[in-house]
Amino acid sequence: MLVKPPLILLSGPAGFGEWFELINPSVIGALTLKTITLNPKSGNKPPRMAEGRDYVINRIGLENPGVTKFLGMLDDLRRLKTKIIASLGGDSIDEYEKIAKIVKPYVKNFDAIEFNFSCPNVEKGGLSIIGDLEGWRRIIKTIRSILSDSFLIAKLGIEGIFIEEATKFLVESGWNGVTLINTVRGLHFDGDKMILGGLSGPILKPIALRAVYEVKNKFPDIFIIASGGIYNFEDAKEFLRVGANAIGVGSALFKDPEIVEEIGKKLLEVIHKND
Amino acid sequence: MEKLFLSISQKIQVNANTWVITFNETLKFYPGQFIMIETPKLVRKPFVLGRWDKRLSISVQVKGEGTKWMVEKASHLKCHGPLGKPFDMNQGKGLFISSPTCLTLANILKENFDVDIIIGSRTPLLLKIPYETVIGDKKFLKLLKSLTGYDWYLISGSVEMEKVVYKTLKGKKLYFSLEEFMGCGIGACKSCAVETKNGIKHVCTDGPIFEGDELCW
Repeated sequence: MLVKPPLILLSGPAGFGEWFELINPSVIGALTLKTITLNPKSGNKPPRMAEGRDYVINRIGLENPGVTKFLGMLDDLRRLKTKIIASLGGDSIDEYEKIAKIVKPYVKNFDAIEFNFSCPNVEKGGLSIIGDLEGWRRIIKTIRSILSDSFLIAKLGIEGIFIEEATKFLVESGWNGVTLINTVRGLHFDGDKMILGGLSGPILKPIALRAVYEVKNKFPDIFIIASGGIYNFEDAKEFLRVGANAIGVGSALFKDPEIVEEIGKKLLEVIHKND
Repeated sequence: MEKLFLSISQKIQVNANTWVITFNETLKFYPGQFIMIETPKLVRKPFVLGRWDKRLSISVQVKGEGTKWMVEKASHLKCHGPLGKPFDMNQGKGLFISSPTCLTLANILKENFDVDIIIGSRTPLLLKIPYETVIGDKKFLKLLKSLTGYDWYLISGSVEMEKVVYKTLKGKKLYFSLEEFMGCGIGACKSCAVETKNGIKHVCTDGPIFEGDELCW
């Protein structure tokens, strides 16, 4: 997949393209849409987000309109002037198969399809889908066979399985890319209130760098979208140095959408210099 | 909505922890709308737009590192906005009940609507304002119980204060300006959820002002 510049707005914080009122889409290579599930989800009860010294914690709970309504939004999404990556998830292994089949006739609308494998597996006690390794290995093969022509990306967290091992199974099943890494489970005190959610922000950067480094060393051909604590061009360069094929930004949008635009512009300059 | 770079004209202390910041620039906005402001922290924060000495302004309650930086050090602010649904109430006479953190909103409401203003503060104000001011919780509650003759009420303050007002004035046409942690302010991240009788809504796009009877108290 050619992403030019190699900068992707990540699923979740990037919404459905709302940021393009503030960010010029020509400096963004692609947008990964919010994760869509089989049925609509109203998400978790508030509070849903807080911040600490060097992290943001969120527990949005995958609020999304569900796949049927989502497919009705395609005309609007096509008008966004950048490449579009759909993000799909589910409450169970079964739901991943069902949503892949439902989306199949529409795949031409997307430049790639990312599967979010950090969703809680409701049928198996709420740990992530990848926690049921047997089931997960089965479903990645099934998804590959259903969406045989799509550029398939797996979004992976660092919990449940070593990220290199997960990537090995994906490579064996013919997947094209990985997004490294998803948020990491955390707990934050907001006064007396305890918030259990996923951590993002600068605190993730060294963890994400290591993940990209390890995966690239073992699987040099897989397309890697780096995600975790990228807040400026210097951060982006470090991720490119360890083998990222594209840079993902999420929480940095909450700090300054202009900086995200800056990263895109500088990445374009580098491309032009090398042309 | 646009990217904004606002230069600070004045910082005026209102009470122990609240300030008014005025800007040199102008901006077209409607009552109730807000901007997201960048501070040294990781996430921009929402501030309701208002007026002070005829200037574009916001009120800032110092709560942590970011707001402290705004009142002590900042000379310019990077932000985006205006955001949120405008408050549109052109029927009858209203009353705006607010903590000092919405003094600048009070001024813009006064420009647009037939509205009286009451400012309730826990600590004495450090400057004279042209509105009725009530200092202390007991006096505030006594005043609330005596209120009659308004067609609508808009309330902006702490969660505790808003709960007290809802309980005391229940049955009247009440509107509340809500605060919830926001990531983006533009409807993308879905962090500023609020539970209503009509399901989950978002403070940034459905609010920040909601009808009292719609909320789950």
